[in-house]
Amino acid sequence: MTAFEGLFYGLGVAMTPANLLAAFAGAFAGTAIGVLPGLGPVAGVALILPLTFSLDPTAGLIMMAGIFYGSMYGGSTTAILLNIPGESASVVTAIDGYKLARRGRAGATLTIVAVGSFVGGTLAVIGVMLFSAALAKVAILFGPADFFALTFGGLMVMARISGGTLASSLLPMAVGLALGTIGQEAVTGETRYTFGILHLVEGVSLVPIVVGLYGLAELMLLIEDKAHAAARPQSVKMRELLPTRTEWKRAVPSWLRGTGLGFLFGLVPGPAATLSSFASYRLEKAVSKHADEIGSGAIEGVAGPEAANNSAATASLVPLLALGIPFTPIAALMISAMLVQGVQPGPLLITEKPEIFWGLIASVYIGNVMLLALNIPMIGVWVSLLRIPLYLFLPILLVLSVIGAYSVRNSIFDVWVLLGAGLLGYAFNKLRFQLAPLVVGLILGPNIEKHFRETLFLSQGDLWAFVDTPIAITVWILVAGILAVGYFARRRTSVATAMAQESSL
Amino acid sequence: MGLAFNRRNVLLAVAGIAALGAAGPTQAQEWPNRDITFIVPYAPGGSTDPISRKFCEILEKELKVKLIVENKPGASATIGTGAVVRAAPDGYTIGLGSNSSLAYQPLEMKGLAWKDTDGYQSIVKLADLPSILGVPADSRFKTFDDFIAEARKNPGKLKVSVSGLRTTPDLAMQHFNKQSGLRVTTVPFTGGGGEALLAALGGRVDGSVGFGATMKGQVDAGKLRVIATFSNDKYFLFPDAKPTGETPWKSAVRTAYYVIAPKGIPQPILDKLFAASKKVLEGEDFKAFAVANGYTMDPKFGDDMKKELMDYERQFKEVNDFLESAK
Repeated sequence: MTAFEGLFYGLGVAMTPANLLAAFAGAFAGTAIGVLPGLGPVAGVALILPLTFSLDPTAGLIMMAGIFYGSMYGGSTTAILLNIPGESASVVTAIDGYKLARRGRAGATLTIVAVGSFVGGTLAVIGVMLFSAALAKVAILFGPADFFALTFGGLMVMARISGGTLASSLLPMAVGLALGTIGQEAVTGETRYTFGILHLVEGVSLVPIVVGLYGLAELMLLIEDKAHAAARPQSVKMRELLPTRTEWKRAVPSWLRGTGLGFLFGLVPGPAATLSSFASYRLEKAVSKHADEIGSGAIEGVAGPEAANNSAATASLVPLLALGIPFTPIAALMISAMLVQGVQPGPLLITEKPEIFWGLIASVYIGNVMLLALNIPMIGVWVSLLRIPLYLFLPILLVLSVIGAYSVRNSIFDVWVLLGAGLLGYAFNKLRFQLAPLVVGLILGPNIEKHFRETLFLSQGDLWAFVDTPIAITVWILVAGILAVGYFARRRTSVATAMAQESSL
Repeated sequence: MGLAFNRRNVLLAVAGIAALGAAGPTQAQEWPNRDITFIVPYAPGGSTDPISRKFCEILEKELKVKLIVENKPGASATIGTGAVVRAAPDGYTIGLGSNSSLAYQPLEMKGLAWKDTDGYQSIVKLADLPSILGVPADSRFKTFDDFIAEARKNPGKLKVSVSGLRTTPDLAMQHFNKQSGLRVTTVPFTGGGGEALLAALGGRVDGSVGFGATMKGQVDAGKLRVIATFSNDKYFLFPDAKPTGETPWKSAVRTAYYVIAPKGIPQPILDKLFAASKKVLEGEDFKAFAVANGYTMDPKFGDDMKKELMDYERQFKEVNDFLESAK
């Protein structure tokens, strides 16, 4: 079966009423999960897993996939409107998105995000359809040393992700890395820094930290800003819901770059959606024509990451379907659903169960159209939320944040983590430290350590193993290149500024 | 007007508590009259969740009450297992255990609510899941004998990936090392066996010790060959794989799943639980599920199950001492 025959066959499978309903239910639930802070796609898919046992396997998988990519649409809504990322994959969206919203461009930004998610999801599924079999081999090529190079190199490249001075980024990043070491070490299960507290054994979870750092801290800043609190929220006009011509034009290249980057991240193990959004933001800062605006409210800083996380979510179907090996917790749940239903995941899935392979891929096309149709009309509703007076709005937000933090593991301990992170975020804001590097450190830290230890276990302690593979060497050279270019570019600007100052004297 | 703290009230309170206690046996006769919680100390996904849900689905029909499956993952399954062990022994909280969580973790972690088999009530052994050794299809090791011959020639040179340090596949390999005097190095990965398998497919290790569910798809596709199974008998999923029990060293550490309850459940409730689980395990429905998912069945109840877990405690302790001395 060629890809296009496969697609038509798959459309036939996906268009049956039951499967259409499954795609819609998944996409809808995914959007809701994305919008609500806290409850993430992993928890959402885990919740419906038992339900899928009573469905046809194809319908069950379509629904689970729908939740995953659907949540990538919804996750940015609260990030943009309230500075509370709905998922970890939407953290960077908050940086520029919230500033755009404060400038009255909330509607336009949400539209850019929805269309960008559609572009990312749709282009990625085309990639999955055409190249699945060939791309599956990519994952096999990467060993622990290569992942160590990618993650540690990524940490260095992303040190200055949200701008500011190097020092104002490095301290939060160190805090993030330190928080990431709490709990069980990934490879050996050794517990660290738990002080006998059972809740800390599983580590600090990301959601309360992110919601606290961004959301709670923002609440405190809003209350403090009395002038703002008293001001009447502006009403939003219909015209402002649509992006301007320039905004569309600026978004397109970012969408495409984000999609490409996200796709690559989806092929290899790791928290693909989250990492790809950070990487895309960093890429936009490096290559976009409006790079200097990123960080202070640029459409590129939203369009790229949001296309990237959708693309990554979709591309992670490649290792799942073509290799039968799960790289993400959600893929593991989908594998589990297959096994319970007596479907054997593996390289033979495409020939032995074409209805699942092609049906799922076709459903992603359909699901993305549904999500676009579902999300665009909602933008008006979301934006009108901003019209609620602050004295009503802030308490509701606080309650939502607490529920979100609690719901991740049903743990009251996480609510305390949320409050602590809120205070930390407030202090960092006041002291003008950057917040995004902390999140980068917290996400990448455990991954770096894990690959570091795996490499050493594999090489029996030989440190040369870190630069022993072609992929690792290439990555290190690239990282060195990027850092050098950044350093000299900054030096040139500072020399130029200094000369300009001198000449004006 | 508050309740005065006088002799009359205190006596009444004591009488009340005594009455509650006396109500115990009658409650037991009626057991079960409400929902039963079944705690799975692992996250959904993987092999533990489906077998629990299947068991509960059938047990529900036997006991005529709802069984609520609750996933409480974390800390190598000790969090959820602890929740079962510490629950009230009224028969309304039971849960899944494995030989790793029940017999191995107490050796590693201090302060757990159970130290050995006396810390909880053994109900029933659900199934065994043999660990298997898979090598890439193009590997020079055609059989387990080839593998052993190479391991003997070059001690410590052969590497196999496992899904985590001291997971049951790792312990199976180490126990084999201890019995045979061979030195096959295990390389721990994370990610539920997927990444460990990837390392073998990518040729970074000589093989991978894991479970059938993860490897079957690769074997069917001709990318992997299973050469050994860590069990006494042939494994029906891979009939060509050599059972380690048939080597001269008789090492066969499997993964085993059990149902446990808190200590101190009244005997009448226990009898009912034994009878109902027996029916579940003897039914065709559960047997078919076990075969389809690569489990081998070896039902054991109460004290027989306890005896098996005590065996595992001893074996794991030996492996730990062996690893300690090899350092």
